[in-house]
Amino acid sequence: MAITKKEVEHIANLARIKLSEKEVEKLTEDLGDILNYINKLKEIKTDNIEPTAQITGLENIFRQDLPVKTDSQIKTAAEMTQAAPRNENGYVKVKQVFEENE
Amino acid sequence: MDLKKLTIKSIQEGLAKKEYSAEELYEKFIDFSSKQNPKLNAYISIFSSDDKSALSSAAGGNLEGVPCAIKDNILIKNTITTAGSKMLKNYRASFNATVIKKLIAEGTSFVGKTNLDEFAMGTTTENSAFGPTLNPHDLKRVAGGSSGGSAAAVASGMAIFGLGSDTGGSIRAPASFCGVVGLKPTYGRVSRYGLIAMASSLDQIGPITKNVEDAAIVMNVISGHDPMDSTASPREVPDYTKVLGRSIKGMKIAIPKEFFGQGLNPDVANIVEKAIAGLQSQGAHVDYVSLPFTDYSIAVYYIIVPSEVSANLARFDGIRYGHSSKEGKTLFDVYLNSREEGFGPEVKRRIMLGTYTLSSGYYDAYYLKAQKVRTLIKQSFDKIYEKFDVIVGPTMPMIAPKVGELSDPLSFYMADIYTAQANLAGLPAISVPCGTILADNSQMPVGLQIIGKHFDEETILKVAYVAESNR
Repeated sequence: MAITKKEVEHIANLARIKLSEKEVEKLTEDLGDILNYINKLKEIKTDNIEPTAQITGLENIFRQDLPVKTDSQIKTAAEMTQAAPRNENGYVKVKQVFEENE
Repeated sequence: MDLKKLTIKSIQEGLAKKEYSAEELYEKFIDFSSKQNPKLNAYISIFSSDDKSALSSAAGGNLEGVPCAIKDNILIKNTITTAGSKMLKNYRASFNATVIKKLIAEGTSFVGKTNLDEFAMGTTTENSAFGPTLNPHDLKRVAGGSSGGSAAAVASGMAIFGLGSDTGGSIRAPASFCGVVGLKPTYGRVSRYGLIAMASSLDQIGPITKNVEDAAIVMNVISGHDPMDSTASPREVPDYTKVLGRSIKGMKIAIPKEFFGQGLNPDVANIVEKAIAGLQSQGAHVDYVSLPFTDYSIAVYYIIVPSEVSANLARFDGIRYGHSSKEGKTLFDVYLNSREEGFGPEVKRRIMLGTYTLSSGYYDAYYLKAQKVRTLIKQSFDKIYEKFDVIVGPTMPMIAPKVGELSDPLSFYMADIYTAQANLAGLPAISVPCGTILADNSQMPVGLQIIGKHFDEETILKVAYVAESNR
């Protein structure tokens, strides 16, 4: 088994996705097949090879920390937060972060 | 007026001769697209001809009055941008992508937002939450993906050109399957600001057009530095149309033998070989080379991409935008349920795979290893380009598959075999139609792929123009 059901459940938790039982089973199979396939990279010798994180060769691209005028018409907090599924008076509303102790 | 026959140049002439106005043309395209679209499902949304924001007021631009189709992972301010997903079904973009700003400045008009595999993950648009896009040449077959909607819109005359995005072949595959031109620029040539990110070290926006000249014209408009994208190159943008029509005499073309191995449909091989012979007849020298990591490239790609995807899609948590679940009691539940409900199976598969490959204990064996093989892949191209100008071969190993033909994840992934390395090495690559194959009474298009050196879009356009002229 390239990956176990328990590992899949653990990853789903890390990825913050509530998978159904059926999905966990299918993914255990799918991920197993895919992992078996990608394991073939072990065949390649990569000692002393630097990893490529990005291909541009650009480094340290900065700009001045100054406000710039944009074409955004958003002027108020209310406008900025209106895309949030739950919002109120210019605030994004979320469920409580801390739970009460039982 | 046959909308299918119009090109950017012919519209410029038509407007100059006052045969029609930009508004009249726009109405015709909206009307035609509204009627045609149900058959193909190329567009997720079509703008209304009353929508003045979709019809640019900039007169005298290089794309004045030219109606285009925009892949629905590119943001147009105040319009719904879905990324082909339930997660963003009602998301209204709060800003214009840089490429959109550039198109608007040149007078382009927008017909609508096109269908794609969900979050650009797929090769057929069968992963779209809004159904697959069908191939205009055979409605039983797919348009390809993930930019299938844009390719089908252009191929069927519903737009003059389209914008797509390409991470492992998503512009070139549908271009090949639909018989249109598709160009993936050098990584960093075109700004990604306003493109919903999939794999940030690979994604590029590029044109899908009816001919090579139109691709060059669009590249002139969309390319260039952008302070909003720190990976966009400050390198100057040449006039890409200047090289078109120039001779390829003496040019050195490399054919990777791995691109003609097992898995390539023999009829496709035949057509592509004829196209290459055509290039030789125009004076190019052809020789075989090796891209020794071709067989490993899918493994590299499907470690790096899901890893970057897992990071990029973490923002979809039901809090600031997008789908938010009504189920559950705690904040944690909002995350768990929103993502479960909002994402489709392929997206979940890749997020899961990427979470695993980046997780503690596995990062070195998978992600780091893949990044090192990525270096080897880049070096293998560098080596070839010491002696050759371009690399040529088939874009796809087959013609457009039938809807439902590809069934398990790996068979989809393997379709990227000729295209993914160009993204991994950051190289520009174009697919140009080079013939058709008769299948079930339909002539199905075949694409010739030309891969160039970094920032050498000029040479691949030059060669593509010759290949197009040979037909």
